[in-house]
Amino acid sequence: MSQFKAYKTQLMEAARNDRISTALSRAIKSYRANTNDALKKFPHTIELAEEVRKIKEDSISRMKELAEQACETIEGNKGHAYIADTAEEALKIISELVGKDKLIVKGKSMTGEEIGLREHLEELGNEVYETDLGEFIIQQLKSKPMHILSPAIHVPKEDVATLLTNITGKKVAPVIAEEVATVRKLLREKFFQADVGLSGANVVPADTGALFLIENEGNIRLSTSAPPVHIALVGMEKLVPTLHDAWKVAEVTWRYANYNIPAYVSLVSGPSKTGDIEKVTTYGAHGPRELHVVFLDSGRTKLAKHPLLRQALYCLRCGGCLYECPIFAVTAGYFGDKYFAGIGAVWTAQVTGSLETAAPIIYTCLTCGRCKVRCPMKLEVPEMCVELRKMIAQNQT
Amino acid sequence: MPKERDDLIPKGMLLIADNISSRDNIFGASPGAKAEWAKGLNLPRRNKTIFFAGCGYQYLRHAKTMLDALSKFERHGLDAEKTTGIARAFKKVGVDLTAVYSKLPLGGDDHYSETLNCAVNVLTKLGVDFGYLYEEEPCCGAPLYFFGLEAEFAKHCQKTYGKLKSLGVEEIIGLVPSCTNALRNLFPNYVAGFDIEVKHFCQVVWEIIKEGNIPLEMPQKVEVTYHDPCQLARYLGVIDEPRQVLNSIKGLELKEPEWTTGEWATCCGGGGGFEMVFPELSHILAVNRARELMETNPSMIITHCPACVMQLEEGLKGLRRNHLEVLDLAQVVDRALRR
Repeated sequence: MSQFKAYKTQLMEAARNDRISTALSRAIKSYRANTNDALKKFPHTIELAEEVRKIKEDSISRMKELAEQACETIEGNKGHAYIADTAEEALKIISELVGKDKLIVKGKSMTGEEIGLREHLEELGNEVYETDLGEFIIQQLKSKPMHILSPAIHVPKEDVATLLTNITGKKVAPVIAEEVATVRKLLREKFFQADVGLSGANVVPADTGALFLIENEGNIRLSTSAPPVHIALVGMEKLVPTLHDAWKVAEVTWRYANYNIPAYVSLVSGPSKTGDIEKVTTYGAHGPRELHVVFLDSGRTKLAKHPLLRQALYCLRCGGCLYECPIFAVTAGYFGDKYFAGIGAVWTAQVTGSLETAAPIIYTCLTCGRCKVRCPMKLEVPEMCVELRKMIAQNQT
Repeated sequence: MPKERDDLIPKGMLLIADNISSRDNIFGASPGAKAEWAKGLNLPRRNKTIFFAGCGYQYLRHAKTMLDALSKFERHGLDAEKTTGIARAFKKVGVDLTAVYSKLPLGGDDHYSETLNCAVNVLTKLGVDFGYLYEEEPCCGAPLYFFGLEAEFAKHCQKTYGKLKSLGVEEIIGLVPSCTNALRNLFPNYVAGFDIEVKHFCQVVWEIIKEGNIPLEMPQKVEVTYHDPCQLARYLGVIDEPRQVLNSIKGLELKEPEWTTGEWATCCGGGGGFEMVFPELSHILAVNRARELMETNPSMIITHCPACVMQLEEGLKGLRRNHLEVLDLAQVVDRALRR
């Protein structure tokens, strides 16, 4: 069982590393306090989450239909839209749009991580900059993200200072404000030199085709507005029927991601345009002149057919469960693959990997059930892990 | 080539599964050892209502010996997967290595099974009419379900239900949270017309204390904290009852950690076979949980599950606080009833 052994070795190295548990225990404390405050200030969120669960149940049942509707809407908005059945297909569409020797600025996207988008574009000879601070650190460290919202959650400021000193050739002190300013300066020119901006989306209503982009840093705004071309990669589970639904999903997502309101919510529904001269519509005013949206299936419609496991597609990726998982608290993203912890086991088994590759993750879940208490969608993660174990036992690999 | 299921299921889990099917207990101990604690109690062997002791406390001594050996192996670089794998391979050719484990000198006195005597005392003092099946008590088989061995679990449920019915059981008072959860919430999914009522010990105790105006007092004043077992709190929803019972004891003050109580309690890292597959990680989680509980600076830790008791004791050892008592709620109520 070498795969299991290799995984376990890594997992245990992480568990023995005090820096991971120290960084996480701070993060967990602040996550719980912030979320508690946010839910107190906006108590309607709890009921809204129940409503969102119903929206997701309905949307997941007709993902393909919503994707087709969204494509039509986006084309109508003068953007371009595609449905990719597989990860390979998505990579092909995007790399053909990008070409090679391009400078690319990229917002953080778990779906991008899922299909290895950055690595693929780099291999084709493009220069890609992750612009989310955490993701930038991870990219420069040649590491992998350890949390879906805070990818560099396990890296202390001292390590960041060393890294930035190496990159810039100038001494950067382990002072967080100085580190942030250094990266800001470093990336600023890249945003404006870039040929292409890449993003994901948190939720997309099919009726208007508007990509909802939730963020705090402002890097997604810059990535999706400064370059002449914006390409978005969106998992099909992010689709909901209406703009109204999407607001609800967005609010619940950020509230459980511990925010009252994020600094920025952008809606992107088409290329930048103006009709100010002679009422002639011209594309590419100040924003991108081209918008491309790729909807990714890659196992999602198949997963939607499973009576229990389909719940994994309701996940809003707020990251709340990760702060409640006792194993994640000591191992961070080493408990997982592209997606983490118990919910990640389902995604690995059904979307990004196979039952076989997911097995070690599946058996790591304690089935303690605290993630479920936190989850705004009340996803039955322990039950899903047991279901996956049943599938292994029945030789459904 | 796709791997066979036995290559994917961790060996520790398969070993437990083997033990359940061959010896009807999770640790592979000899079935005779089960009822030792109740010798001389003369509890009725047949009764409509029975006290279900469960594998946990009846065999915890065996479990601890086995797990200690396992983590010792792991510390010497022999992976838990490998050791449990070896045990399983031996078993296939007729050598029961678990029996060898269980013949290792059993760690000290059996302070674990004392909890069962306490639970029985409490029920007796509160006037509950109950029996105990002694060595006829079956294993609930819960690990089979959690390991995904559904076909085996379904078979086990039917066999176990048949046995319970043939012994005239109509109502079960469970002590171990996972047994109670299995019998109450899982069995009905696998046994058509399942008609045995299942309650947890704490629910029964609280119902009587609540109604009966029964004086409870600790022999000396204590400040305690309470650790919610996962299956008791989150699977069975028994969260208020233990607190109400504790709060009705004179001389006992309950102090809880800031976030991690009730449905938000942190798992001790034990149970569910996890400690058989990841002994070292399980130990780390035990220490973490003990640390959270110690923030309340208690003079004793109370919980209500054999796996949690064992884990928290281990956790306290890791914090060099082993002098602190970890008690099951049944033991506390027993003390409070003695006066």
